[in-house]
Amino acid sequence: MAQLPYTDPETADRVMKAVFEDTVKRFQMPLNIVSVMGNAPEIGSKMIQIYFDILQDGAIDWTTKELAILKSTKMGDCLYCVTQHEVVSERLGISPEKQADIVGLQYQVSPHYTDRERALLDLTGQVVLDPEQIDVETWANVRKHFNDAQIVELVATIGAYLQISKFGDAMGVELEPVFHGRPSVLFAKEPPKSAAAARHLEHHLAPAAHQ
Amino acid sequence: MAAVHLIEREEAEASVADVFEAAERHFGQVPNLVRALANNPTLCRSITEFMIAGLRPGRVDWGFKELLILKTMRSMKSYYGYGAHEKLATELGVPVEKMGDLANSLWQSSSRFTEPERVMLEFATQVARDANDVKDEHWQRMKAHWDNGQLLEMNAVITTFIQIGRIGDTLGVCDPVLFTKPVSSV
Repeated sequence: MAQLPYTDPETADRVMKAVFEDTVKRFQMPLNIVSVMGNAPEIGSKMIQIYFDILQDGAIDWTTKELAILKSTKMGDCLYCVTQHEVVSERLGISPEKQADIVGLQYQVSPHYTDRERALLDLTGQVVLDPEQIDVETWANVRKHFNDAQIVELVATIGAYLQISKFGDAMGVELEPVFHGRPSVLFAKEPPKSAAAARHLEHHLAPAAHQ
Repeated sequence: MAAVHLIEREEAEASVADVFEAAERHFGQVPNLVRALANNPTLCRSITEFMIAGLRPGRVDWGFKELLILKTMRSMKSYYGYGAHEKLATELGVPVEKMGDLANSLWQSSSRFTEPERVMLEFATQVARDANDVKDEHWQRMKAHWDNGQLLEMNAVITTFIQIGRIGDTLGVCDPVLFTKPVSSV
């Protein structure tokens, strides 16, 4: 159970009602990660806008951004984000086989990935782990394929998904019922590194947990 | 040199003109992070608006929010804006000795921190280490001192400054000062 209450869209204040309307328009459901923002709408509404802006075609197309989202949330052991974005990615045309190859360094040799996508994923991995270690070659490859507007969008996307992963996981925000028991492509390839995240995954996959 | 061009007001797209104006009204200047983000007007707008919403008095005392930001940055080994947040905390009345006690485990035994503050610093370090592993017992201790709105605000501030730190550190942006106007007027 989440540590903070979810806000009911029916009884939400004016600010949250507008956020819920946008969320349902975009994602066909209110989403628990949005509902929990109702505890402080003045700050939650500003935070969620960043995600509305990322999850659309921008300087980089949405599908390409999904690769950075899958990579960064998998590295962050975020079951909520990984599950949601496996579904979104598949709807956008990223096959489960391609998704699976994002784990570890498999994308570097996988036939499913272009050099542009590999450059993006190399940067993603380093931003998540330690930006201080980004080397000259990584930047050169990134600059070969992306301009400044795209680099900002990519880095902001990685940072944002590091943020929302930790934000939701810290509060125990649960996957919506439609996702209950859904096996994860990425975590099937490589289990979570965090023992706590592994327990969450085990609970998520256990049918009895959702009855 | 930053990884991307820092946009000057004169060369900014018309769509971010009001973002630059809002930043200047809030901070007294346009921080270099906002100038870097201006390469992408859409995200420049939403991230700057969050920074403005977070860096002001809120449900939680701003000085304590600065201590949480500083401890989060230390825990994440993040460099972007650390000095600026120390300066900001000082202007908000946080004693330098208390900021010093954020180092390593000193805050756990420092008499300069109250129990409600300590329980949130413990949260910030845990979120940085492994957000999946914040225990129920820890949440109970937090809820004994803070209400739901305050806890949401602090979690948002902690995690969003992880995001902002990653953006600043990756792009090589330096902001030695964030506010050039008196913070008492914010």
